[in-house]
Amino acid sequence: MIRTLVVALAALAAAAPQAVFAQEKLQVVTTSADLKSLVEAVGGEGVDVESLAAPEQDPHSVEVKPAQLARLRRAALIVRIGLDHEPWLARLPAPGVPVLDVSKSVRLLQAETPRLRVERRAHVHAYGNTHYWLDPYNARPMTASIVAALAALRPAERALFEANRDAFLSRLGEKIAEWETALKPYRGTKVVVVHDSWAYFAERFGLQIVAAAEPHPGVPPSPAELAALFKRMREAGVPILIADPHANPALVRQIEEKGGAKSVTLLPSGPDYIGLFEENVKRLSAALKPG
Amino acid sequence: MLELLLWPFVAGLVLTAIHAYFGLHVLARGVVFVDLSLAQVAALGLTVAILAGHSVQSEAGYWYAFAFAIGGAMLFALVRPYEKALQQEAVIGIVYAVSASLGVLALDRAPQGAEHIKQLLIGSILTVTPGEVGELALLYAAIGAVHLVFRRPLVEVSFDPPLAAARHRRVFLWDVVFYGSFALVVTSSVRIAGVLLVFSYLIVPAALAGLFARGLRQRLLLAWALGGAVTAAGLYASWTWDLPTGPAIVTAFGAATALVALGFAARKLTTRTAGIFVCAVAALAGLLLAAVPQMGQPWLDALEDIAPPVQTTFLDSGERLTRKEALESIERRSAELARLRALEQDVRWGKIEMEPENTERLRQYLAGISEISAGDQLVLHHLRGKARERQRFALGLPLLLLGAAGLYALVRRR
Repeated sequence: MIRTLVVALAALAAAAPQAVFAQEKLQVVTTSADLKSLVEAVGGEGVDVESLAAPEQDPHSVEVKPAQLARLRRAALIVRIGLDHEPWLARLPAPGVPVLDVSKSVRLLQAETPRLRVERRAHVHAYGNTHYWLDPYNARPMTASIVAALAALRPAERALFEANRDAFLSRLGEKIAEWETALKPYRGTKVVVVHDSWAYFAERFGLQIVAAAEPHPGVPPSPAELAALFKRMREAGVPILIADPHANPALVRQIEEKGGAKSVTLLPSGPDYIGLFEENVKRLSAALKPG
Repeated sequence: MLELLLWPFVAGLVLTAIHAYFGLHVLARGVVFVDLSLAQVAALGLTVAILAGHSVQSEAGYWYAFAFAIGGAMLFALVRPYEKALQQEAVIGIVYAVSASLGVLALDRAPQGAEHIKQLLIGSILTVTPGEVGELALLYAAIGAVHLVFRRPLVEVSFDPPLAAARHRRVFLWDVVFYGSFALVVTSSVRIAGVLLVFSYLIVPAALAGLFARGLRQRLLLAWALGGAVTAAGLYASWTWDLPTGPAIVTAFGAATALVALGFAARKLTTRTAGIFVCAVAALAGLLLAAVPQMGQPWLDALEDIAPPVQTTFLDSGERLTRKEALESIERRSAELARLRALEQDVRWGKIEMEPENTERLRQYLAGISEISAGDQLVLHHLRGKARERQRFALGLPLLLLGAAGLYALVRRR
């Protein structure tokens, strides 16, 4: 029984996608929903994309299911955020499948030298902050690297991928102008974040992150750290606290009460790249609106 | 300090009051891990609540969790009479593993809850509100009152099952009362304090009190005093050393247990056993230093920090000079670094106005001198490594030989 299963699985894994489905859609697996959205925007009808992590999931700890693993091994391309964002990916055996590490195409923030990192104590983003997709301008280099990777697999369709990308970027460009207008009145506003995932977003829209309440996810802040944070927040009159959906509600409530800021939950990931910013800008401008 | 730590302390006292009492029962019944198991069942209930469309923080979520925990409690009461055939601890372990796995399966369908469930199990005693502590105190007072009224049958069923049987007590009924109220306590406490802290409050005060007192009442009073004292110590440590509060209190419970164990060990210690222990440790340290000098040798690091000649004797004059310069440079820069970091914070928070160009210059300058300090640390590390290579035979071998000789002499003296 087990032997039959193993043989069947091996046969499944050995079935090379390029040979069998030469004219079929390119099977792409991404590690996040945002990357899926971008690959779909570029690949259009020519790709079939699956994301291993759902937008609501903690991207750092994903448990892959057998069907996903089978799909991963059959994939023509794996697209990942890179750096140390998805440590679980290293354990997945997908020999021979090309991997596109999108982080190599963007300018990273908080990429200190290793020696300084040691001094700053434990840090999840040991090679630079990984949430670079949260700056919509980064969609340009990110989609460029996706076009290059797809075109390497389907050289004949390069022009199509380029055209798809241009159409997407022009739609995005219009939206970025809208978002920048919506958030313009709040440029320079000081914000406190629960987790360090908003550096790119804040830089793009001119928000000034003054502190992260829980610098090391999963390790609650100590009372002295919290006391210092509350004091600073009250002194500086920080109006807003940006929380992630995963943030500890008790901690958020306490920072609101004792630090005197209003909290807003922004989404770090979503099934639709443009929709993600649309929602976040809507939530943020509603929270920042005076009165 | 007081403003932030007052309510966590009161919460700690409330938890001590009820858990130390239940801890005595749990130890007598020999079901140490029952609360971890029930907490996991409650978490499973909460996961099901999320699947049914309720939020983690909602009342409905709490009642789902409680209903599941009661289910688990009934199961434990049901299997108790069959203890000879199937140990209760085995059932508790199975329930723990299966409900944790079922939780993972359920969360696969509702990934948005995963983080919240994880946080629930970790708990957050630092952010407890007066309202939560008040509700908890009222609930536990009510449960305590029930246990006070029915103390005879409840105590007999836990502590003296043969007597309970002889008096024709309805064991199953009282087991249901015990596990049912315990499930309510666990579900409510874990929400506030997390599983690790709740487990510590349950087991440590009761276990330590059992070492010093005989009667149930004396043990309970002692456990309460211990629980209160350790909570205060843990909170103090958390404030002073800048540690996350929950884990700090759990560690304080661990330290208290270790201290008591050391005290008991010291009472039984003879000069000869102490000598054997010291010689064995010396021989092992010497062996490790001689065999793998580059491995971390924390005892030698500490010794060198207290008495630098232990290291400098093994360095040549040039190396000693480099070491001295690196140390001076670190000391000089650390004050400057602290000042500039504080300045950067003040600028960042808007307390001090600074031109953007100057802010950037400050950032770059800070990064620069941090780099130099980190470089000096590397120099010290390198010199320590060099000294280790030389200490290997000059220090490691003699220590090994001395330790071994002492050990041999002491063992033969018998």
